[in-house]
Amino acid sequence: MDQNLEKIKSEYISKIDAITNDTQYEQVRVEIFGRNGKINDLFSNIKNIDSKLRKQYGFDLNQLKTELENVLKTKNKNKLEIRNSKLEIRNSIFSLPKIGHLHPVTQTERQLNDVFLKLGFSIYSGPEIVTDEYNFERLNVPKDHPARDMQDSIYIKEPEYLLRTQTSTIESYLLQAHSHQLPIRVAFPGSVFRNEKVNRSNHFIFHQYQAVVVDKEITMKDLIGTMDLMFKTLYGPDVVVRYRCKYYPEVEPGVGPDMQCFSCHGVGCPICKYAGWIEMGGAGMIHPKVLEMAGIDPKIWSGFAFGMGLDRWTMAQKNIKDIRTLMGGNLAYKPNQP
Amino acid sequence: MKLIYSHLQKFLPTLDINPQQLRDDLTMIGHFTNYFENIEDEIVFDLDIKVNRGDCLGYYGIAKDLSIYYQIPLITNISPEIINQDTKILPIKVTTDNVKRILAVKFSQLQNTTSPPWLIKFNLCHQTKSINLIVDLTNYIMFMYGIPSHAFDVQKSTESLIWEMNPKYQEFISLDKTKLKIDKNILMINNPTKPLSLSFWGGNDCAIEDNTKEIILEMAIYNPSVVRQNSRQLKSTTEAGIRLEKQLDPDLIPLAFNHLCKLILQNCQGQITSAFFDYYPQKINLPPIKFDPKKPSLVSGIDIPKDFSLDCLSRLGCTISPTTSVTPPSIRPDITLEADLVEEVVRFWGYQKIPTNQPLSYKKVSDITPKEIHLINNLKDKLKELGYDEILSWPLVNRPSDPATVITTQNSINTESIYLRQSLIPSLKQQLDQYQRYKLNNSQFFEIGKIFSKDQDGYQEKNSLCIYHSNPQQLKNDLQYLNLPNNSNDSSFVEIIIDNLPKIDNYQPKIDRQTAFELTSQIINLDANVLFDSIQDPIQLINKYSDIIGQKYLWEMVITDIYQDTKNQKYRYTFRVSYFNITDKLAKEIHLKTFNLI
Repeated sequence: MDQNLEKIKSEYISKIDAITNDTQYEQVRVEIFGRNGKINDLFSNIKNIDSKLRKQYGFDLNQLKTELENVLKTKNKNKLEIRNSKLEIRNSIFSLPKIGHLHPVTQTERQLNDVFLKLGFSIYSGPEIVTDEYNFERLNVPKDHPARDMQDSIYIKEPEYLLRTQTSTIESYLLQAHSHQLPIRVAFPGSVFRNEKVNRSNHFIFHQYQAVVVDKEITMKDLIGTMDLMFKTLYGPDVVVRYRCKYYPEVEPGVGPDMQCFSCHGVGCPICKYAGWIEMGGAGMIHPKVLEMAGIDPKIWSGFAFGMGLDRWTMAQKNIKDIRTLMGGNLAYKPNQP
Repeated sequence: MKLIYSHLQKFLPTLDINPQQLRDDLTMIGHFTNYFENIEDEIVFDLDIKVNRGDCLGYYGIAKDLSIYYQIPLITNISPEIINQDTKILPIKVTTDNVKRILAVKFSQLQNTTSPPWLIKFNLCHQTKSINLIVDLTNYIMFMYGIPSHAFDVQKSTESLIWEMNPKYQEFISLDKTKLKIDKNILMINNPTKPLSLSFWGGNDCAIEDNTKEIILEMAIYNPSVVRQNSRQLKSTTEAGIRLEKQLDPDLIPLAFNHLCKLILQNCQGQITSAFFDYYPQKINLPPIKFDPKKPSLVSGIDIPKDFSLDCLSRLGCTISPTTSVTPPSIRPDITLEADLVEEVVRFWGYQKIPTNQPLSYKKVSDITPKEIHLINNLKDKLKELGYDEILSWPLVNRPSDPATVITTQNSINTESIYLRQSLIPSLKQQLDQYQRYKLNNSQFFEIGKIFSKDQDGYQEKNSLCIYHSNPQQLKNDLQYLNLPNNSNDSSFVEIIIDNLPKIDNYQPKIDRQTAFELTSQIINLDANVLFDSIQDPIQLINKYSDIIGQKYLWEMVITDIYQDTKNQKYRYTFRVSYFNITDKLAKEIHLKTFNLI
């Protein structure tokens, strides 16, 4: 032990030995372990120690602290339980155990995974930097098609490389990679990118969830029934969802699920833009051209695909008003609450 | 797109559906209708624009769909056909194959005035500015049939119009006097000496004015790709452009053009002083499609009678051969496959007739879940069990970690964040700063996400895990527990490339419901000393006072000190309570009340 620390130790052991009453005990205790006491003083000066010696010095200082605590402990056994608790409290405070949390978007993904795992689905993923071919062409969106206006892309190297604009892009890779392993049932969460200014309501990155089935004799009834099961899992058994005709280039027939507005119950309000319904994503029977491009014979195989955004639902569930909160920033979790 | 009920009834005189029902029915058959409102005693619907149905960018196309759905007659000949005996041939030339069809005619002795009240109201409902009678009538017909038309003031343009790819001009001044730089890729209407119009936007040099007496009126359809490219290139969007960049029906032009001519003759007086110029080099002939009438039932999963299918396609204007090959009408170039015909039948039969309570049942198929997904989910669960919170951060960052291998985005409008991240550590450091700004201490968190780089093989992306703990020793212990490589170098941050880790099989993710919060203000820490006659169980005390405060504002409660006051034989417990999303004043109020400190 450092000579100076040895000297301090001797000095305080003598003082502890000389204690004869509670008042003296408290005075010495505060002098050594109080907020402005010797030990804290020594710890605060550790930064001034030569960096080469600092590690050893820290070790010695902790040793000194432990030894003086033990001497005090033996001096007054009656006070020990409380005093000792107090000293321990200084190092490890009494509190409920720290509980970790998954991100709200992950929590929503897990809820959905649970629905699909029970139906025999695999969980899948795909690249985020993708080619025009997989993001558009294999999804039946040729160059100059007006449907490209539906998505404003962020390019890495225009026009070939871009950040994926939709989870359907994963479907392109999936169908090609597993065209000889049919039937397949696959679900995939993923982040997607659009060229949007970031503000309270919009973000350049958001999260989608997609499910794809390719099998024999798959029908719209299978699609709508499965989607409805998913919505009931997320929003509860009383949720009202309608399934309407909607255009997406990668599906035919296309389906648009709308949930009756949770705020106005269909009457019309600012939240649903007075439609009474909130669009929940897109779906449909996989377009024969998409299957063909993946090397799958649409005369034998059929399938459905549907996708939905996760951010709005997650925000509503957690009462988050600003979409930026989801991606860094001021999202926080109570340490003791699951 | 706006749709006025009374004008829709011009095509569907027997339409008698209440507006709310009509809104819902339009939506169900594929024309999403946001709302309807009352403007100047007119019921006006607001519809989303469909990208694949050029025919539905006018009342006519929507009316055609509704006539099939409600099984009511569609009136096509609103205006009787004009008998034109003038034989003067207009000196019009077409030198590009990007023109699909043109109908044009000359009017003379016109009286151009302000529009009548009905037309001004129509414009108002369509949020369009009224210009003058001739221009307003061309716009009216565009909204009614979905096909734009254009009038040239002959005094300025001459009769010698040429449809051509830009031969030599470098600048074009549009109707609103915008100067546009143009090149050889621009489809134009010119005369031999000057540029007059773009395909989708009229020019200032031949604009119709109040004193215009002679016009050449034209209605044309082009190669939609060229219009679209021109519109993007010049960064200009017009109502005409929105329509002309879709597949429009050249065979609808005579009907729409006749209606427009009739309206001009009725409202602007004058007379037709040329023969109709009709350029239609290649008539549209959509190929027949093999159609199995059972297919709509097989695809939908419900029984749709064969007779309904065939009747529906027939009402749609399809020609059906005895061998059930189906030829779509020219107004529906979007129908190219049997699947398209199936969608038509199913949407008119009604999606709402498909049951919603028959999901797929479980079926054992190959599990193709990649092993890294099992590993990632497993790591997330284990880190959570260790008390770590998951965060997500921006994959685009404002500073490269390694400029030599960074991937830069080309067109991100978020100009400060143009690089794809190469490490998660800077993002987690930013998150820590943010937490400290909110005075949120003792945080420990992680992120799993992609990191990106480029090398000689191209673009690379890898799954990465980054963990932060304020206590490096604890972080080391946790890494050891997780059986992860420890490369933290006594830092509070560690980053591990997941794709390099061994994979874990047979993982099924657990499902749990938890709570996360959006911090809107700084955490407020308040202390309270409470005296007791005997030693207390600290956890019970925390639970007791937590219940009193309630969960709405309570972030965390800890006991920071326990002291025995030997004089009074009392035990003093010091609580530190952290409140969140609350004002100082309210926090103090709750605090004083909870610990009886008032």
